[in-house]
Amino acid sequence: MRRLLIGLLSLVALAGAPLLAQEGHPLKGSWIGTWSPNPVHGNDVLLVLSWDGKTITGTINPGTDNMAIKNASLNPDGWVVHLEADAKDKSGAAVTYVIDGKIENLAMHNRGITGTWKSQRGTGQLKINRQ
Amino acid sequence: MRRAAILLAVASVVGIATERGAAHHAISAKFDDTKPTTLSGIVTLVDWTNPHVHVYVNVKDTKNQLLNWAVELESPIDLQQSGWNRDTLQPGDAITVQGITARNGSRQAWGRSIVVNATGRQVLNVKPSAPPAPLQARPTPLWPDGQPRLGAVPGSDGYWAYPSATVLVENGVNVDVDQYGLLKNVADAAKVAPMQPWALSLYENRQRRFLQDDPTFINCKPPGGPRQFQQPYGIQFVEDRSRQRVFVLIGGGNRNFRVIHTDGRSHVGQVGGDDDNPLYYGRAVGKWDGGAFVVDTRGFNEDFWFTNGGLPHTDKLRLVERFTRVDLDTLRYEVTVEDLGAYTRPWTAGWNLRWAGGETLPAHFCQDNRP
Repeated sequence: MRRLLIGLLSLVALAGAPLLAQEGHPLKGSWIGTWSPNPVHGNDVLLVLSWDGKTITGTINPGTDNMAIKNASLNPDGWVVHLEADAKDKSGAAVTYVIDGKIENLAMHNRGITGTWKSQRGTGQLKINRQ
Repeated sequence: MRRAAILLAVASVVGIATERGAAHHAISAKFDDTKPTTLSGIVTLVDWTNPHVHVYVNVKDTKNQLLNWAVELESPIDLQQSGWNRDTLQPGDAITVQGITARNGSRQAWGRSIVVNATGRQVLNVKPSAPPAPLQARPTPLWPDGQPRLGAVPGSDGYWAYPSATVLVENGVNVDVDQYGLLKNVADAAKVAPMQPWALSLYENRQRRFLQDDPTFINCKPPGGPRQFQQPYGIQFVEDRSRQRVFVLIGGGNRNFRVIHTDGRSHVGQVGGDDDNPLYYGRAVGKWDGGAFVVDTRGFNEDFWFTNGGLPHTDKLRLVERFTRVDLDTLRYEVTVEDLGAYTRPWTAGWNLRWAGGETLPAHFCQDNRP
């Protein structure tokens, strides 16, 4: 009974504490979410981003579409994100994506980016979270 | 008492030593200094557990309803060293608590003072335990070959504690910061170290959140990097000369350890061949440079804060540390931080640790992920 009480009280004490914290460069990691409606490359999207000390690099949908990210930037004043990537549609025509968003819940391990995407073939909302 | 007899006051190279009666995280991370409270009620439970003792108290609110409050105190070690134990308070005791309340609005308070109503006696307070500095320097203990000993001589005990600084600030910089690394003025953040813009903004964000995102606080993550030498419960060197390695035992956190290889190996094959598994303490190689033990460490992961106060780092972090046992009671620690992922140039900081002779590392555990 005492152990149960301690356990319950400890849970109360833990309430409100974030489970995992943010560490390292805020963009580094794998991000999963949606960029919809995207009839060309599907609504689900995976970004794998890295930081070499000077440049943000990465790939959109690695293993399937393999879009190399270019012209990436992070403005820490507001944590504003800008990413670009070249791809091709099923017919082989060039498509350039431009993503603009903002990091939310910066302090959290599973922080998010919300914003917009646009290309020659459309535009829509982007919502991804770090895994 | 033995330590007090040995260590008498004199100016040594040690500055203001940090007292051990310090929470393992910034109190302000969880509690709001601007929200004082007084709680009068009946003790329902004393939870005498690491990392912090909690006393649970039934308190009547303004509607005469009984509410259970959790009053958080220092660690069992600090309380025991101040003469208290798990039986100091008993369920049923009527007490009055002066403290500050939790930032998240829950029924938690940091207890600054507990008074037993029946006797008026103040209990469970922590008395400062920092020893006075020695009257005169005692010679550095040596191995038979003349190399300084980092640890205790055979037949004795001891460890390093009471760091003269518990924050990592570039040498020559003067900023007002508390023992947990919390800046008095966040506008001073840029002075602390030569951070890249993203790292500076992240550091400021951590500061504005009162360090509540500290992985050591939230997840009991190990204190890698210079932080291991900022711990209130100290560190101990174990020199395994036969196997050419030095262990650094960590007195707080999860009582884990770091290995420094002294067999002449390089980082090639350690970091390059295994860099998909970066470590909290990195991969360290050490060698003696005159009277200084110089340690080069790379291969850190990014899952921890490498200093109190939340200075960011990346997996490009490289540390070059110099340990110099100035005399028996003084260890000079100097570290050069190289991390071009987060900083614009290498930079250096340093402080002293004091010898806690005749003692073993305190058994403090950050357990059960309980804040």
